[in-house]
Amino acid sequence: MRRLLATHEACLAALLAALVLAAWQADPAFVSGRVQAGLLPQIGETALLAVPMTLIVITGGIDLSVGSAMALASVLFGLGFRSGWPVEACVAVALAAGLLCGALNGWFVTRFRVHPLIVTLGTMSAFRGLAEGISAARPVSGFPETFLGIGQGWAAIGLFVALCAAGSAVLARHALGRQIYGIGLGEAAARASGWNVDRLKASLYAFSGLTAGVAGVLFTARRNTAKADVGAGLELEVVTAVVLGGTSIFGGRGTLIGTALGLAVLHEVRQFVGWRWSNDVLNLVVVGALLIGAVTLNGVISRRPAGSVEGG
Amino acid sequence: MAELLRTEGLGRSFGGVRALDGVDVEIAEGEVHALCGENGAGKSTLIRILCGALAPSEGRVLWRGAPLPEGVHRREAAGIAAIHQEPVSFPDLDAVDNVFLGWEPRRGPLLDRSAMLRRTREALRELGEDLPLGRPVGELPMAQRQMVALARALVRDCRLLILDEPTAALSSRETEALFAVTRRMRERGVSVLYVSHRLDEVFALADRITVLRDGRRVDTVPAAATDRAGLIRKMVGRDVPATPDSVRGTEGSPVLRVDGLSLPGSLQGVSLEVRSGEVVGLAGLVGAGRTELLEAIYGLRRCHGGVLVGGRPVRPGSVRSALAAGVALVPEDRHRQGLIPCWPVAWNVSMASLGAVSRLGWISPGAERERAEAMARLLQIKCAGVDAPASSLSGGNQQKVVLAKGLCLSPRLLLLDEPTRGVDVGAKHEVHQLVRRLAAEGAAVLASSSDMPELLALCDRIVALRGGRISGELRRGEFSEPALLSLILPEEGAA
Amino acid sequence: MRLRGVPGPALVLALLCALATAINPVFLSPRNLTDMLLAAAPTLIAACGLMLVIASGEIDISIGSLMGLCAAVAGTLSSPDRLGLPPSVAVAATLALGLGVGLFNGVLVSLVRVPSIIVTLGMLSVLKGANELLMSGKWITRLPDGLRVWGTGSLLGVPVPIAVCGAVVALAWILANRTAWGRRVFAVGSNADSARLAGISVERTKLAAFGLAGLLVAVATLVSVPRLSVVDSGVGVGFELLVVTCVVVGGVSIRGGTGTILGVVIGVLLLSSVRTVLIFLQLGESSLYWERAIQGALILAAVMGDAAGRRKEARA
Repeated sequence: MRRLLATHEACLAALLAALVLAAWQADPAFVSGRVQAGLLPQIGETALLAVPMTLIVITGGIDLSVGSAMALASVLFGLGFRSGWPVEACVAVALAAGLLCGALNGWFVTRFRVHPLIVTLGTMSAFRGLAEGISAARPVSGFPETFLGIGQGWAAIGLFVALCAAGSAVLARHALGRQIYGIGLGEAAARASGWNVDRLKASLYAFSGLTAGVAGVLFTARRNTAKADVGAGLELEVVTAVVLGGTSIFGGRGTLIGTALGLAVLHEVRQFVGWRWSNDVLNLVVVGALLIGAVTLNGVISRRPAGSVEGG
Repeated sequence: MAELLRTEGLGRSFGGVRALDGVDVEIAEGEVHALCGENGAGKSTLIRILCGALAPSEGRVLWRGAPLPEGVHRREAAGIAAIHQEPVSFPDLDAVDNVFLGWEPRRGPLLDRSAMLRRTREALRELGEDLPLGRPVGELPMAQRQMVALARALVRDCRLLILDEPTAALSSRETEALFAVTRRMRERGVSVLYVSHRLDEVFALADRITVLRDGRRVDTVPAAATDRAGLIRKMVGRDVPATPDSVRGTEGSPVLRVDGLSLPGSLQGVSLEVRSGEVVGLAGLVGAGRTELLEAIYGLRRCHGGVLVGGRPVRPGSVRSALAAGVALVPEDRHRQGLIPCWPVAWNVSMASLGAVSRLGWISPGAERERAEAMARLLQIKCAGVDAPASSLSGGNQQKVVLAKGLCLSPRLLLLDEPTRGVDVGAKHEVHQLVRRLAAEGAAVLASSSDMPELLALCDRIVALRGGRISGELRRGEFSEPALLSLILPEEGAA
Repeated sequence: MRLRGVPGPALVLALLCALATAINPVFLSPRNLTDMLLAAAPTLIAACGLMLVIASGEIDISIGSLMGLCAAVAGTLSSPDRLGLPPSVAVAATLALGLGVGLFNGVLVSLVRVPSIIVTLGMLSVLKGANELLMSGKWITRLPDGLRVWGTGSLLGVPVPIAVCGAVVALAWILANRTAWGRRVFAVGSNADSARLAGISVERTKLAAFGLAGLLVAVATLVSVPRLSVVDSGVGVGFELLVVTCVVVGGVSIRGGTGTILGVVIGVLLLSSVRTVLIFLQLGESSLYWERAIQGALILAAVMGDAAGRRKEARA
C-alpha cells in the first residue's frame, strides 16, 4: 500500500485535491458542479491528443505537429463544406488528412532515423502553412445544427475516457504495451528481440495524426468555425499534461492514468486563473511554468533508486 | 632504474564480482612493461584505475612515491596517458582539436592555432604517420584514430603511456610503426605499459612482464627470464590445450548454410556451414567482421547472399524471419542489445517470445513467471526471484538471462557473440557446459569469441575471419593457438 | 576548412538566385540586395547564437517569444507614450533581459538537467505571456530617435543592422573556430562523456552557449524592431521556427558537434531568397501563407539530406 501512495500518480491526485480545495476557499462558486461541467469540454481536444502523445513519449519520441494537423483537418473540413459536400464526407476527409499527417511523421521518423523533435518541428510548420495557404486565412462557419451538436456534448471527453481505459489496459497487460515501454527503455534490445519497432512507432504517429483529425472536427463543431489557426500552441498544453502526469520525456516510463491526472491539474489551474483574473494571458505563463516545474520535479524524483518494478 | 609508478593492494569489485584483488604492480622509468592475462583476468580494470577513469575499491596508486590526483584529466596532466582499443575521441572534430582539447594553447584570448598545427604535425611525423588534419576524426580508419590519440599523449609529454591491445585492428605495417614508436618512447625515457594477448609482440618489446590471473598478480618477470610456454602456464594455471570434459555428440545434418554472404564494408563472400550437434567457433581480430556476420545471419543487418536455416531461406534484414526459422542470438553488448536492465528477469526472458505467454497479445503474468522460473532453474541463474531487475544480477547471471531469452524459442541455431565477456570464471565454466549440452541435444551453435583458449576448449571446429573474408578453418585435431593466430592475423605486407 | 553539409544548400541558394533573377532582374540590383540583407540581418544574428546551442547538443525554441518580450521591454522603456526613459537605458535593459533569460534556460538545462526541449517549450509560453501582460493588448507607435537609429541609421554608409550583423558573424566565427570555448562547444556536442573526462565543464560550456544565444536575440531585436512602425505583442511570433530552419538547412546537425558559421549564413540567405522569390511571383497575400509551408518542407529536406549523408559515412 505504501508503494501505491508513493507513486507519482498518488502525488498528483493529492495535488489535484489540494488545488480544488484552495479554489473552493478562494471562490466557492468555481467548484460548483454546474460550472465545472460547463468548463470541461474546453479540455476535450487536449485530452484526446494526450493519449497518443503519451504513448509516443513513452517510446522516446515526441509529436509537436498535433496542433497543426488539427488545423489542417479543420480547414479541409471547412473547404469540403463550402464546396457543398455532405457533412459525413467532410468529416471523412478531415480524418483522412489527419491520418496522412501522422503517417508522414511516422515515415520520416522511421525511414530516416532522425529525431522526432526536428521532424515534427518541420511538419508543424508544413501542416500549418498548408492550412493557411489552402484557406487563405479565411474562416468557414455556418455548419448544420446536427453537426454542431457533437461539439457541445461530451463527445471529446467520452472518447478520451474510452481511449484512456483501452490504452491503459494495453499498456499494462498487452504485448504492444510491453513493446512500447521496451522501445523507450532500450530500442537496440527491442530490435534484437525481433520486435517490429519501426512499424509500431509509425503506427503511433499515424494514430496521433488521426486523433488530431478527430480533434480538429470536434473543435470545429464546438466553435462553429473552421480556420487555420486552430490548435496553435496546443502541442505545448498536451506535452505539459503528459509530462505533468509522470511520463518521462526520455521514454520508458509513464501511464495514461497519470496523463489523465495531469490533464485535470492543468485544466483546473488554467480555468481557475481564467475565472479569477479573467486574463487569458496568465494562462500562458502558468502552463509554461507548470511544464518546467513538473519536469524538474520529475527529474529530481526519478533519481531515487528504482528498486520496485514499475509498470512504466 | 627509478620507480615511476607503484600500486599497493589495489582491489576493485563490481557488484558481486571481484575484478582485482590485492594487486601490487611496479613500473620503472623508461621501461616497456607488458601486462598479460586471459580475458577477465583484470587487465582492463587495472588500466582504467591507473588512468583515472575508475576508482579502486581498496588500495592506492603512487606516482614517484606520492599519491596521484583523481580523474583522467588530472592524470593526463601528471603524465599518464592511455590509448584504449577504441580510442575515445570527438568524432566530429579534426585531429588537431582532438589532440589539444582540454588544454588548448592560447595566445591572449584566442587559440594559438599555428602552434597547435605545428605541434600536431611534429607529433604525427615522429609517429611516422601522415593523416589529413582537417577531416573529422570519425571519418578516419581505426588505426589513424589511434595515431591521433598517440599524438595527444606525445604532445602532452607523458611519462607513462598505457597501450591497451593497440594492435588489435592494425595491419602488420601499422604494427611495425607502433613498435617503432614504442621503442622511441623508451629511448626518450617514457615508460610504456603494454597490454596484449599477442605473446610474440610481448616478447619483442617488453623488458618485464606482469601476469594477472583472476584479478590477482601471479608474477612479474624479466622477459628474458621466461618463454612463451612458461608465460602461458602462468596465465592459465595449467598447460593448454585443455581437453573438453564432456562427451561430444554425433553431428547431424546441416542446420545453417551461408552462401557467399556479403555486407558492403564488412564482409565479402562468406560461406560456411554448421551442423546440428556441432559447436563452431568464429575467430578473428576486432574489425574482422565476426559480429557483423552473426548480425547478418540473425537479420539485424541487411546483407546480400543466401542464409538458409534448416533448409529454409531467411529473409535478409528481418529478425522475425530469423526467429521463425529457429535462430537465437546472444549479442555482444549485453546491456544495450541483450537486456533491458531495469526490467525484471521474467520480462527479459520473455522479450523474444511474448506470443508463447500471451493470448491474442494479452500477456499472462502467471505463465510468464512460471516459464522464467523454469529457465532460471535450468540455467542455474542466481537472482532474488524472477521479479528482480536484471541489473541486480552479476555479469554471468545476466548473460544467462540473455541465453534464457534465446532458449525460450527452442532454437535450432544458437548464435553467440562473446558469450563469456565480463563473466567471472565460475559462471564462464557453467556457460560452456550449457553450450555443450545444448549441442548434444541437437542444436547447432556458432560462437564468436576473441578469447582464443575459450574457442579452443569449447568448439569442434573453428572458422577464422580475416578482413571480412574466411581465411581458413581448423578441426579439433589441428587446434593450436599459433595455428589459429596465423589465420586471423593480417598477412605479411597487407595494408 | 571544414565544409560538411554546406555544398548542398549553397547550390540551392545559387539556383534560387538564378531563378529569382530570371523572374525579375531587379533581384540583383543593389537596392534589392540591401533590402534582403536588412531583412535577413536579425535572423542571422540570432542564428549565430542558436547554432552554438545546437552544436552543444541542445536546442532553444523560445527565442521567438524572447524577441517579443525584448521588443515590448525596449518599446515600453523608451517610448514617449510609455516610460520615456533614455534610449541607452532601454538598450541596456533589453540586452540584460536577453542575457538573463538565456542564462536562466542554461541553468535549467545544464545544472538542473531538465531537457532543453522542455525548458524552452515552457519558456516559450512564459515569455509570451509576460509579453502580452506587458503590452496589455496595446500598441507602441512612437520610438525615440536614439532607438530608431539602431534600425534605420547608417555607419560609414552601411546600414546599422547590416554592420552589426557583419560584426556578430565575424565574432561568432572567431568564437567558434579560434577560441577554446568554441571548440569545447563542439566537443561537448560530439561526445559529452569524453569532454568531461578531458576536464571540460560541460555545464559551464552549455550555460555560456545559452547565455550568448539569449544576448544575440536581444541584439537582433534591437536592430529590427526600430524599423517597425508599430510594435505590438505579435513581434517575434514564428521567429524560432525560421531560425531553426535556417540553422538546420545550413548544415548544423541536430545531434550536435557539427556546424559552420558559413553554413548558417547560407541557410539564412537561402530562406531570404525563398521569401523574395515568393514575393516576385506576385502571389499577393497568399505568398506569406505558403512561406510557412515551405519552411517546414525545407527542414524535412534538410533532414533527408543529413540522413543520406550519414549513411554514406562508414558504419560504426
